[in-house]
Amino acid sequence: MEFSKFLNSSSKLNIILIVSFSISVNSFILFPNINNSFYVLFHLTFIYIIFYHYHYYLYVVSLIYGILFDILLLNNIGAHLITFLSLLILFILLRKYLIRLSSHQIIFIYFITLIVMLLIEQFLANLIHNYIFNMSSFFNFFLISLIIFIPTVFLLTKLDK
Amino acid sequence: MAPKFQIKAFQISSLVKNFIIISIVTLSFLLVFFSKSDLYLINGIKNISSSVIIPITKVISAPINAFSNFVDEYNQFRSLKFENKILQEEIIRLKKWQTLAIQNSRENKVLKKLLNATDNNLILIKTASLINRNDTIYSKLINLNAGYEDKIKKNMSAINERGLVGKVIDTTSNNSRVILLTDPNLSIPVKSISDGIFSLLTGKGDGKYLVSSFVKENKMPRLGDIVVTSGTAQIFPVDLLVGKVTKVEKNRFFVLPFVDFENIDYVQIVTSK
Repeated sequence: MEFSKFLNSSSKLNIILIVSFSISVNSFILFPNINNSFYVLFHLTFIYIIFYHYHYYLYVVSLIYGILFDILLLNNIGAHLITFLSLLILFILLRKYLIRLSSHQIIFIYFITLIVMLLIEQFLANLIHNYIFNMSSFFNFFLISLIIFIPTVFLLTKLDK
Repeated sequence: MAPKFQIKAFQISSLVKNFIIISIVTLSFLLVFFSKSDLYLINGIKNISSSVIIPITKVISAPINAFSNFVDEYNQFRSLKFENKILQEEIIRLKKWQTLAIQNSRENKVLKKLLNATDNNLILIKTASLINRNDTIYSKLINLNAGYEDKIKKNMSAINERGLVGKVIDTTSNNSRVILLTDPNLSIPVKSISDGIFSLLTGKGDGKYLVSSFVKENKMPRLGDIVVTSGTAQIFPVDLLVGKVTKVEKNRFFVLPFVDFENIDYVQIVTSK
């Protein structure tokens, strides 16, 4: 608790990003769903930071994580980098409309953004790098998103106070 | 004077911010555009990610790794008695085979001497152990603890005691990255042992099976046939064991690799003579 006083919300969220990134790029043969869950958690936290803690440094963060995810998971730069930067740009364009929405509508958009992001990544991986669009893998991500969405939002809002 | 100065300062910082954003977006598009090329920058990024980022992520994910290892060891311990029984039976069976193999080996040596043939076509470069794997989401890649300082180069083949594991796609001074056979982006030229049918295999995408993407003259191999590398693309050495034909359809066939990709600890990096 004492340690957490030294960290502001943004730092805590960035720590979650680093941890979830590290776990999602290291495969655990016995528990492949751990990788998938932390991969979804990374996306959830990233969207949360964009929605509630938007700052220009996020472009650098997107660039770094986009490149690293692409190189470690696909061995070629593309799908993640494009998706992360597009989300940031889209957020700036739609920010004035998002502010007017109620909290329930925001939560709904938050979930839709997550699913669309995961879908676009798979689609771009297929388009740019010829990775087979795997419906079962996407369904797995969707199921994990459904399960962890509410607890994660609760945890993030608690951390964010 | 003060408010004027503030407005000017704000404008400059906003300009700088916009410039940084445009630079980042431009850089991203250039990186995406040139990502498949052999540019120094791209190679540098790949090198940093495998020699710096992977060890850091490994340290951060150490608790989960420890838990995974603990569960694995517990499962192994539970099945110890059963495995012991199987192994005892296997030892008896292998002893019979060993006697036969020694006889065949002697016979082989004599015949090779008579034919003036060379022993095999492989040069062992290095035996390396696995440091981490990225084969759950998207691609099927593993990272090894040996790099170009150990004379490992791009496109060399990785094998283990069961057969072909994959191909080296990146090397740094002390690390190298291997793409597994099961990756959909790797094509392996193979031939069937019994009929000598030439074909190209790629990963099916499920991480288990390989599927033919091209079959020469559309001749299908038989069910249960063993396929080995044909050596035609000159990337893989000839006659490395790949797998067994498990399903044959009208225009394609499926192969189950001999290598158990979930239990790779060590691989040998080899090249043809």
